[in-house]
Parts: sequence; C-alpha cells; structure tokens
Amino acid sequence: MSRPQPTGARPQDLPVKADLARLRVEYGKSERLAYLGHLDLIATVERCIRRAGLPFSVGNGFARRMRIQFSSALPVGASSSCEYFDVRLTERVEPGEALRLLRAATPSALAPSRACYVDGRAPALEAWLNRATWELRCEAPGLTAAALEGAVGRVRERGTLTYLRGEREKRVDLAATLGGIEARDVAPGVVDATLVTRSGPAGALRPRVLLDAAIAEVVGASLASARVRRVAQEHEEDGLIVEPLGPFGPQPPAPLS
Amino acid sequence: MRARRESLFHLIEPLLGSVEHPARYLDHEWGSCQEQDGPFHLAMVYADVYEVGQPNLGVAILYNQVNAQEGMSCERCYLPWKDMADLMRERGVPLLSLEAAAPLASFDAIGFTLAHELIATNVLEALDLAGIALTSAERDEDDPIILAGGPSAWNCEPLAPALDAVLLGDGEEHIVDACACIRDARAEGVSRAEILRRLARVPGTYVPSLYDVVVDETTTRWGRAVPRAGEDVPATVLKRCVQDFAATPAVAQRIVPYMGIVQDRLSLEVLRGCARGCRFCQAGMTYRPVRERPAEQVVSASVEGLLASGHNEISLTSLSTTDHSQCARILRELDGALEGRGIRVSIPSQRLDSFGVEMAAAVAGGKRGGLTFAPEAGSQRLRDVINKNVSEQDLESAARNAFEMGWRRCKLYFMIGLPTETDEDVVGIARMAERVLEIGREVCGRRAGVSVSISVAVLVPKAYTPFQWVGQCRPEEVRRRQQLLLSEVRDRAIRVSYHDADVSLVEGALSKMGRAGFELLRAAWGRGCRFDAWTSEFDFDAWRSAAEACGLDLEDVACEDFPLSAALPWDHTSPGVDKGYLQREWLRATRGETTPDCTRASCTGCGVCPSLGVHNVVQEVRA
Repeated sequence: MSRPQPTGARPQDLPVKADLARLRVEYGKSERLAYLGHLDLIATVERCIRRAGLPFSVGNGFARRMRIQFSSALPVGASSSCEYFDVRLTERVEPGEALRLLRAATPSALAPSRACYVDGRAPALEAWLNRATWELRCEAPGLTAAALEGAVGRVRERGTLTYLRGEREKRVDLAATLGGIEARDVAPGVVDATLVTRSGPAGALRPRVLLDAAIAEVVGASLASARVRRVAQEHEEDGLIVEPLGPFGPQPPAPLS
Repeated sequence: MRARRESLFHLIEPLLGSVEHPARYLDHEWGSCQEQDGPFHLAMVYADVYEVGQPNLGVAILYNQVNAQEGMSCERCYLPWKDMADLMRERGVPLLSLEAAAPLASFDAIGFTLAHELIATNVLEALDLAGIALTSAERDEDDPIILAGGPSAWNCEPLAPALDAVLLGDGEEHIVDACACIRDARAEGVSRAEILRRLARVPGTYVPSLYDVVVDETTTRWGRAVPRAGEDVPATVLKRCVQDFAATPAVAQRIVPYMGIVQDRLSLEVLRGCARGCRFCQAGMTYRPVRERPAEQVVSASVEGLLASGHNEISLTSLSTTDHSQCARILRELDGALEGRGIRVSIPSQRLDSFGVEMAAAVAGGKRGGLTFAPEAGSQRLRDVINKNVSEQDLESAARNAFEMGWRRCKLYFMIGLPTETDEDVVGIARMAERVLEIGREVCGRRAGVSVSISVAVLVPKAYTPFQWVGQCRPEEVRRRQQLLLSEVRDRAIRVSYHDADVSLVEGALSKMGRAGFELLRAAWGRGCRFDAWTSEFDFDAWRSAAEACGLDLEDVACEDFPLSAALPWDHTSPGVDKGYLQREWLRATRGETTPDCTRASCTGCGVCPSLGVHNVVQEVRA
C-alpha cells in the first residue's frame, strides 16, 4: 500500500490542494462497460486507483473523499476512447510508472492509455473540456448520409431542441452546442457520421438526442440502431483547440489547429 | 434435454439501452472468475436484483469454494428487474448466468440462496424465466439439480416441492460435496431419482421428494415430513458445521461491483454464531456454536482485502461483532494499519452498553453520525421475556456515554407483537425514547439538536426459536399498538417508523406453513407476486386472493398457536438445537426468566455441541 496521508496533522501543516501533484489520466470506456453510469464509473475508477497503490490525496471533509475530478459524463450506452480524470497525489510518481500501476489494476474495458502531470491550478476538467467529437453509426432503412445531414440542418434551424429525459423536459441551445456533422454512406441504410458538439453554460448536446430528432425529420425512417463513440474531448478558446494532456503530455504539444 | 451451454449475451445486449440500471447485467467485474471451464457447472442464484444479491456473503463464500475445485465452475445469477424480465419473455430470452451468459437451464446444478421468506416467489420467477419446471416432480432426467440453502432453509417446506435438495448449515464444505455427488452420479449415468437418493446420503442434505408429509393427531395441520417407505434417509437431517472456522478464507468478497450495491463495502466475517440467546432470533439459534477468528487474521485479511479490492470501507460482520473477545484490539490495530487512507471501518451491531459505545467511537474516528441500539422491548419485564439481557441502566449509561462522546442522533430498534406484550410495554417504548432524548438534552443542551428515532418491527415467530409455537400478533392488533405508540410519542425530536403489518403477515404465514403452502406460493406468483420484499412491489391483495383460491386465510395461518407437544412442520431438519431446550426456553420466557450466554457463563444445554460434535471457539475471555 502507498504511504498514507497524515491525518493527525493540523490543517495548516497539510499541503495546499493546488500544490499537490495533479496527475491527469486518459482512459477508454468500451465494450459492455459503455453501459456503466457516471456515478458507478467514478466509484470504479476510485477503486482502481486504490488497487494501484497510488499515493492519492484525501479531502478534509466529513466523508474523507479521494481528491479526484472527471471529465463530463458520457451518456449511458456510449463508448469512448478519450475520457479523463485528474487525481491529486501526495507525492509524485513517475507518470509511466503510475500508468503501469493503474493499467494493472483496471478492467481492460476502462484501460488507461496516457498519463502526465498538469498544473495544480489549471481549471477543472469538466468545464475546461468544452468541445467533443463523436463517431456515430446509424442504421435505419432507407437512410442516406445526405438525408441525415439535411435533417440535422433542419433541426439546427429550430434554434433549440426540447426533449424528455425521464419525466423531465430538457432544452438545449443548438447554436451554442451543435458544432457540425459530416456523414458518409457505408451500406444501404447504414450511415457513419462525425459529430462535433460544444458544452458550456448553455448545456451539452447528447448525440443520441440529436439523432432521434434528426431521424424524425427523415420521411419514413425509424432508427433501428445507433452506436455512439466519443473520440475526442478538447478545450476550445478563441478558435484554438488544446488537447487535454496539452503541453504536459507525452505527445507533441497542442494546439492542434 | 438439457439446454445447450453457449453465451447468449448478444441477446441481452440490445436490451441494455431500454432498461433501468443496465450495469446489473454487465458482469466482468474486477475479481469475478471468468474462466468457467467446468466441466461441472454450478450457478448460484440470489433471486433478487444484482445490487441486493451481490453483497451476500454466503454466495461469495460458495462461489470461491467451488471455483477453487479442479473441474468445477461456479457462476452467479441474479433476478432481472421487471423491465428486463418482461423484455426477455417478450423476446424469448431465457435467464442467463452472469459470467458466461449461459442459459441457466444448461447448468449441472443451480443453488438458490434462501435469504428470507419473502424471496420465495422470486425463486419460482427465476425457475420460470430459466425455462425449468417449477417442481422437482415435473423435471426431466437431464434438467439441472435444484439446490437451496441459507438462513431461511429452516422452514423450507413451503418451497420444498420446487427444490431437489436443501443444504442445511454451513455451506463451505457441503456445496463441494453436493456438487461432487451430482458430478459423479451423472458420470455413472444413473437416473435423476438415484442422484437425489445419493444426495440424501451427503451429510446435512435434505431431499424433500424422499419424505412424505403425514398429518395426524401429533402434528399441526401442516403435518410432519417422514422418510418415504423404502427410502433409506435420516428421520432428522442435522446441519453441517465448520468447526475450524479460522481455517476458512477470511476474505470471501473478491468481486468488486461496478454499480452501487446495497452494502457497498468489503465485508469480513469476524465470527460466526451468537450465544446471547435472544428468544426471537432465528440466526442466534441456527448458527451456533460461536466461532471467532483470531485478531491477527482479521487485521491482516482486512488490509489484504482492501488492497485487492480497492474498497474504501470495510464492515466487520457477524451476528454480534462487539462480542468478539478481541474486538477492542482488532479495532485498535486496524486503525493503525489503515490510518490516512480514507477508509471507514464499520461494525453492524452495537452492544447496548458502554463497551459498545467505546467500540462505536473507535470506528467513527472524529465523525459522529447516528448511533444505533436495539433494546427490542420497552420494558424490563418484556426484555426478560425475550431474553434480551440488558437493563434500563445499561441503555441509559450507553446513551449518556454516546452523547458525551459527541453523538447527537440515536436510533433505537424495537419489536411489537412480542409474546405477553401489553399496552404498558408499548407505551414503554415511547417512554424509553423520551428518556434517551432527555439524557441527550441534559448532556448536550437543549439547543444541540439531539434527536432520537425509533424503528419498530413486527415479531414474526420463526422456526427453531423458543417462540416457534407462538402465533403472530393479528394485523389489526399490530396496527392498534402502532397507533398507540404514535399517540404516546409527543416530542417532535422523536421520529417513529414501523413495519407494514400486511408484509409481516405474509412473512409470518410463510414461516409457519408446511409443504402444502407451496400451492399458495404458486398461486401468488401466478397473480404477479414477485419482489415481495420491495415495499413498492408488495401486493397484499394478490396474496389475499391467492390464499382464498387455496382455501387459506393468511391471518389464520400466521396467527395460529401450535401446541408445545406438537410435531412441527420443520422438525425433520435440525440445526442441532434440542427441541427440549427450546421448550424450556419458551417456558422460562413465560415466567420472565432469563438465560445466560454460554460464552460468558456455563453451558445452557442447547444441545448443539454434543449433537454436532463441536464447541465454542473464543479467542480470549469475553468482556
């Protein structure tokens, strides 16, 4: 087990949260674990970190929770190759070693792929990652790429999209959240699409909600199945796009555009 | 013909987007045994949803034991929630195991955990979803052998026609013996009837189909089960008991669930059995003798289990953890070993004295949530009747101690409908709650926000307790006493909650009935009863209609007194406790005489040790 955080110490003797090492980890969510809800995912990742023996930091609140932040929740059923969490450590572990420990303690369908340290004072992941790219596969008799793009265009013209989530009515501003869509015909009635969405104070657009609304615009089509996969989450600001591991990661630094 | 063993997950996957909590059906959790090569395949079924069944320690123990055997595999199966079950029926998808997603009907054996009486309709639901005949008599030669065991097996007669064999007592060794027996018999190609005969020769195994029910002047209306003519089976099947409990693996829960489950923590069984002798408590009679794990084993297994699982909470479970003779040492050493890791230690039941409060303080660290005590009855007279050996003084000093140590909320458990209970005893519950509140305000001040909540269950007399002859309190009377209690509680800082009288009535009926009760179960299930333990799903009208259709009155069944001399419907399956001891305990109860705990005083003559060839194992002198 890793070295514990002293609990008997006075608060003023403990390191300030922002000064603690902040390890950012990229991981996937695939196969049947795409059906794992966000709260269950959080609990699962925390257990992976404990199993890995990383020297995680614990908050000083009543519940003594692990200091960890996640990127925005994936819709249940959607898979991803680009989920992120930031965990605060009481001591620095070399990122490659941390990644090795985490991979050995994590189910393969959630396997971490990259890790690096980021600035302890950087903004919270969920708000900072405001742009997402999705790959969709839609199967509907008679559906074509052109029909799907046209239907999304007509939905966009509405300005807002209203839908039911459970029993609650939700509304999302399309001008702020729908980036664009490019569709390709794969086979008769099978269309692949790349969708870009943005999130922020105006909310976030769920791909499946957009798809359902768009398919309803296509005369005679009803969605037989749809697969949704998040393939990128990035920060977009003033036209520049920064990838989550940005200048800190093991790969060449952003911006990407 | 046996169903083919193949993965049918592709039939479930398209349904996952349409059901609540799809994580219930995912499998592949950390620690689950994915190598299910067999060739002998057992499925352990907890007939409720995943989040209720997965924490069950019994299933975890048997899962590990069977998977550790060469040539044997064990998978888990839980009952799908109604949305999924309806979709599966609509699309013709049978009930599947988790690990291999194989049809349940393809297994060699299926083991049901009878965790409580109200799970019975779910057992029928699981069999039906699996496409397996509901009764043993209707099953084909190749069908899986249906086993059952667990805390509610002590009156398994209402479910007996559905079960091929019932495993009584500790299951660690028993399940392996039963599986080996089925495997070997199948290899020899013997008939299903012969497999069941051989199972009956495995110690601790009751095979209902080899016993006839006889109703005569010595029995209740439910009769007694006697060996069928020509069958060489024991008249009384004695339970199995693991004497060297410390030699069994301490960490049973190796599977780490993805979804939140009802007890979302690592559980470690620190001791088995309880000899306090509370006269309403079935577990206290049926899990004897007391066997403690040594402190060093508990501490090292806790650290190892937490590291391997990643849990942030550990529960030291047992029927009475603070009775462990090394409890203080265990908590002290655990505190040191786990310091600074954000790990919470919990103990499920507090002893009602200052020692209990000290132990609660030891696990709470700096935090003070609520503290729970179980006085069970509102007057000393009635506590003596039920052999709850605590005094008013114990409760008051425990409460004072708790408030002095910083707690502000106190929860008290009581029962209503206890034998000899009077209105004075019911009012005594309110007075006791007020007294605890008063102590809290005395210690902490009136502005400290001290509160007391009381939870009042209904006594359901259970087999193999000294109250097994007693009829349950009638629902109307239960409701009157509940109202009396409510009217007596005047302070708004005292909150009262109580059990539904109708749910308790059905539980009481199922606890009393003999084999003929199966028709009631079948009729209730046929009327849509399932998930009866869920308040949202319990349908009393359906139960009443089912009872009427069977010519039964639930109230008559549950509330009937049995003569002390009568042969009881469960007399042929024994946890080792002498019937004479239970009769004596009942008579002592009626006289308000208490009986001591044999781990602290001398033997009280319950008969378990001589009949099973076992004895209490206590690490040090108990406090």
